[in-house]
Amino acid sequence: MRTVFLKLGATVLTVATTLLSALYVTSHLKNPAAPLQPSVLSASGASTVSAPGGSLTLGPSVQPSNVQPVTSTYAS
Amino acid sequence: MPPSALVDAHHFEAMGTNCSFFGVGLSRGRLLEGEFWVRRMGARLTRFSPDSELSRFNASAGRWIDISAELEALLRESLRAFETSAGLVNVAVLPSMAAIGYTRPLSFGRPPATEARVGPLPALPDALSVRPGAARLEPGAGIDLGGIAKGWMADRLLESLGPNALANLGGDLSAGGIGPAGTGWPVGLAGVTVLLRDQGAATSSVRRRQWGEHHHLIDPRTGLPARTGLEEVSVVAASGVEAEVVAKAALLVGRELAPVYCATHALAWWLSP
Repeated sequence: MRTVFLKLGATVLTVATTLLSALYVTSHLKNPAAPLQPSVLSASGASTVSAPGGSLTLGPSVQPSNVQPVTSTYAS
Repeated sequence: MPPSALVDAHHFEAMGTNCSFFGVGLSRGRLLEGEFWVRRMGARLTRFSPDSELSRFNASAGRWIDISAELEALLRESLRAFETSAGLVNVAVLPSMAAIGYTRPLSFGRPPATEARVGPLPALPDALSVRPGAARLEPGAGIDLGGIAKGWMADRLLESLGPNALANLGGDLSAGGIGPAGTGWPVGLAGVTVLLRDQGAATSSVRRRQWGEHHHLIDPRTGLPARTGLEEVSVVAASGVEAEVVAKAALLVGRELAPVYCATHALAWWLSP
């Protein structure tokens, strides 16, 4: 008889824990708008410059200049 | 560094194109050494001369052959380019070049009309094996190093020209150091001047070396001249050879995906449909 009570108690405890966990999770949904911790710098630092025949996109490590170029890249 | 140091420039023709060196405080001897190296390498890497090291390697398909340290480095660079471009940059294009008639320099005249019958190129690691001092091509395979050789050579030239120099081999260029004014080397890219510091630039195009319906840029997925909606791409990347690989892959990946590809692989880019 005592064994039956122990089994019954364990089953009730397991079911109750499962139900309570599910209830807790559904009432604490993840906020997709939450900020990253730590915050991350924006990866897009690119700028677009108008160029003949297409658009020229410059990443943050390449700067435009007004000086005369010494040479150019071209198709050969 | 003074506000605008005097730039030493040296221009010459080699490998069928215009070559230029620029540097600050470079001796005449060092500039000439660089020119001679370019000429020697050009003679060894051309596919148009049957006596070149590359042609002898192509002719030895099916067996292991001893190769120079430079050719070994270039073949390894080609395998790396194949891997980083997901197979879009494949130097095993020689059979396709032969199929479209591009078997001699275009300065010798327009290639004869051909009925190109080729298929997709083999994956480069399946066609090319490299081990220290030797390499092997599968029977039927052939290599044309093309722009990869020029970008790689421009990068190597910086090691001999000095810490503040620029090498431009037919539009494939590598710029090292802070340039003449301390802000980077001013380089023309699609008509705009950009400042490069320890970076490379290259342009891939189907507008040059074009005849009839053919041009020289092979799409490895078809084995035929590429038709992707883009005609010219210029790119800045971390080195000359990397810029060459990214420019070619961006042109081959096509008009829709090229902006995304360049955003993840290039430091600056110009796409021309």
